[in-house]
Amino acid sequence: MAFPRLASIFSRGSRYRPFLRDFSLTLFGIATWVPVCIFINQHVGELTFINGASMYPYLNTGYNNSTRKDIGYTSKWNSFHNLERGMIVTFWSPDHPEVLAVKRVIALPGDKVYTRAPYPYPTAIVPSGHVWVEGDNRDREASKDSNYYGPISMSLITGKVTHVLYPWSSFGSVKWWEFKGKTRVIKARE
Amino acid sequence: MTFQKYVLGPLRSLQTRYGGHPFRLFIAVGKTCALAHVFTEFGYIINPASGASMLPTFEVLGDHLLISKLHRKGRGVEIGDIVSFDSVAEPGERVIKRVLGLPGDYVLKDTPGSGSSEMIQVPAGHCWVIGDNLPYSRDSRMFGPIPLALIKGKVIAKVLPWDERRWIENDLKPVNVSPST
Repeated sequence: MAFPRLASIFSRGSRYRPFLRDFSLTLFGIATWVPVCIFINQHVGELTFINGASMYPYLNTGYNNSTRKDIGYTSKWNSFHNLERGMIVTFWSPDHPEVLAVKRVIALPGDKVYTRAPYPYPTAIVPSGHVWVEGDNRDREASKDSNYYGPISMSLITGKVTHVLYPWSSFGSVKWWEFKGKTRVIKARE
Repeated sequence: MTFQKYVLGPLRSLQTRYGGHPFRLFIAVGKTCALAHVFTEFGYIINPASGASMLPTFEVLGDHLLISKLHRKGRGVEIGDIVSFDSVAEPGERVIKRVLGLPGDYVLKDTPGSGSSEMIQVPAGHCWVIGDNLPYSRDSRMFGPIPLALIKGKVIAKVLPWDERRWIENDLKPVNVSPST
């Protein structure tokens, strides 16, 4: 018995003494693990369910013929360090503070990006501490990305999607270094 | 006798509970730290603040502030509240400024009295943050409106130095101007 005194509090005045005691102790034992899980989810890694078509065709490949969502593994360790072009990141949407978005890093600080339609200028230079993110879906309606709200602050980034877990067909690590984007970027550094 | 009863006794029971099981002690310490982390992440935390940008409200060095994380991501933040947020241009830096505009508000783009009276509208999901010490503050006048998602908490009290402890009230009140005078 791990907590004899606590157990006596729980079971006082009850007819179902042993059951109630065992039950509440088990519940308490489970509850003590909740903060540990929260810590791991915040700082180590988390399962991420991909919503919407913004990363089609790479993620949610079957978004238009099934309701199934892809599941990814997001690494939360050093979330905004060592970012590279082509990495898939999760970040808090700049215009909706409670919405987590998943997009691909297209350009790093100092890079010059040739922008697309909703953006007011033909090119943009990414300021320091910011990245340019775009969805893989070229459809403007499907992906609200940096062409819509501009470069995002790295502080908004919560993690990098490093693995795809669920559709078994695409199970494996995200090979971001193989990504060839259609957006033209003049790199400030390699 | 008393020493044996109140010190040695509990120590021995601790030893029998954890002494033979270093792994169990390790797990218990880890769980406790995780619980403290959850409290500081989602509840309240006391953080030191430094810098001249919030003079005269906060000193340049040595002030410790109680920050309520219940207001993270700008939940329930109003104009005049002092918030702590992640720096826009320098990831990893934590900044403290005063909120002077919420989504939809029109704000003065430059310093008052600078000659420019251009106003801009704060976009959806953003806010306008300004330091109290206008000449020595890098704030929304330079980097524009910041996303509400960057806000980590609201400053609710100054706790250290202990002699200067006080609750941080929202100082920004509507001015009563009677038309007769």
